[in-house]
Amino acid sequence: MATLLRSALRPLRALGGRRGPAADVWLRGARHGAGLLYPGHLPTSPLQKALLAAGSAGMALYNPYRHDMVAVLGETTGYYALKFLRDQMRKDPEGAEILQKRPRISLSTLDLDKLRSLPEGSLGQEYLRFLDVNRVSPDTRAPTRFVDDEELAYVIQRYREVHDILHTLLGMPTNLLGEITVKWFEAVQTHLPMCILGALFGPIRLSAQSLQVLISELIPWAVQNGHRAPCVLNLYYERRWEQPLRALREELGITDAPTCMSGAWPRP
Amino acid sequence: MATHRSCALWSYCGRRWSRVMRCCRLSGLCSSWPSGPLGARHLSQEKPATETHFGFETVSEEEKRGKVYHVFESVAKKYDVMNDMMSLGIHRIWKDLLLCKMRPFPGTQLLDVAGGTGLAWVLGDAEELPFDDDKFDVYTIAFGIRNVTHIDQALQEAHRVLKPGGRFLCLEFSQVNNPLISRLYDLYSFQVIPVLGEVIAGDWKSYQYLVESIRQFPSQEEFREMIEDAGFEKVTYESLTSGIVAIHSGFKL
Repeated sequence: MATLLRSALRPLRALGGRRGPAADVWLRGARHGAGLLYPGHLPTSPLQKALLAAGSAGMALYNPYRHDMVAVLGETTGYYALKFLRDQMRKDPEGAEILQKRPRISLSTLDLDKLRSLPEGSLGQEYLRFLDVNRVSPDTRAPTRFVDDEELAYVIQRYREVHDILHTLLGMPTNLLGEITVKWFEAVQTHLPMCILGALFGPIRLSAQSLQVLISELIPWAVQNGHRAPCVLNLYYERRWEQPLRALREELGITDAPTCMSGAWPRP
Repeated sequence: MATHRSCALWSYCGRRWSRVMRCCRLSGLCSSWPSGPLGARHLSQEKPATETHFGFETVSEEEKRGKVYHVFESVAKKYDVMNDMMSLGIHRIWKDLLLCKMRPFPGTQLLDVAGGTGLAWVLGDAEELPFDDDKFDVYTIAFGIRNVTHIDQALQEAHRVLKPGGRFLCLEFSQVNNPLISRLYDLYSFQVIPVLGEVIAGDWKSYQYLVESIRQFPSQEEFREMIEDAGFEKVTYESLTSGIVAIHSGFKL
């Protein structure tokens, strides 16, 4: 009888497993379900954030194709910059509306046929052409995971989704030189440590010739425009697809890109 | 082994019977209940989906199979480099020690379950092996049994396919015996390993599952008892690296 009971209880004991005591939560990480602020949220301790920041920075430098590492670096180091950006958005009527409505830019939310039918030279048309020519898609942006504030998680998501539109606005291709130039613009605009680090360390991988062009022409141009333009996250791009790109650039004070980049991506 | 199975079933159904009877009395229903083996089978068909653990999450047993499958599909590409990074190469020493214990010689019929790669491999299910009874001299499973939904079934299958005199060897993560090392190990497991998974393999969640599933696995002594329950004898274990892993051994006599 005792043997029967023993053998009956044993599978249940093995199934039940062990749970760490509540005091071990910091050591053991957050429980599933508890403390999740948004879908996909992964709560992390300060130590984990520090390790992630260091690891992702190193990996992104070692392998620039690891876009996910750039995203992780942005999320783990961006808390103060994101608060600054969120405050910039709150102060502006268009920005505040974006924070409230939370629009998303993805292939599922974009009306591609409508964008294609827009006049030549409009923001929507130019944006689509940028996606086609550079063979990129807005859906490759990884969702936010390591930001521990639900509104700030949206802000960084918005920044990511607007990045391709910035390429369009600045007329920068997605090669290394183009990306670094956009990073300089973004660093001035957003103060995100990830943008600053990318702007400072990205050039390590450039040839001497490209480095020369970057330092003499592209960086000064990007920094000037970054300072002059208002916060680019305060534009409700989804309502401005019809706006001619030229007019939008004038509105933001963005000048034409240096001639060295003019052949990189055909513009009207 | 068959005796064990039916005994367990009988006692399980017996408990369910008494639980149902209590519910009946409380709600005031007075329907008569069928008795005997037919009645017991009728009750077990109505039982709800059984729950189990997936790391620290609670999932149904059905879900667990799929989730474990996806974890390994995800980690397969970077499996070897991640093992080296996470254990600083020590996993190779553990596996060497397992082989030392085994002392295989030419002609040994060896089955390595959850092996991943090998000389001749067969796709199968640890809970229902595609082999006849009494076939192998040695059955090994290294860092695999922790992920099986029904560990007891895997152990029973191991017993079935081994020849009389055959040996069961399992290398698996276990419980650390030293309190200080345990805290350091917890710190490393939960703070560093998922970060390594994210940075190297782009996969936080699979490595979070890994460290959680280690905590869910029975201790050295509990697992020894489970192996005995499957019919093995002379069951012993040896803890390595302060109990981070253990090698369990049993014989089918």
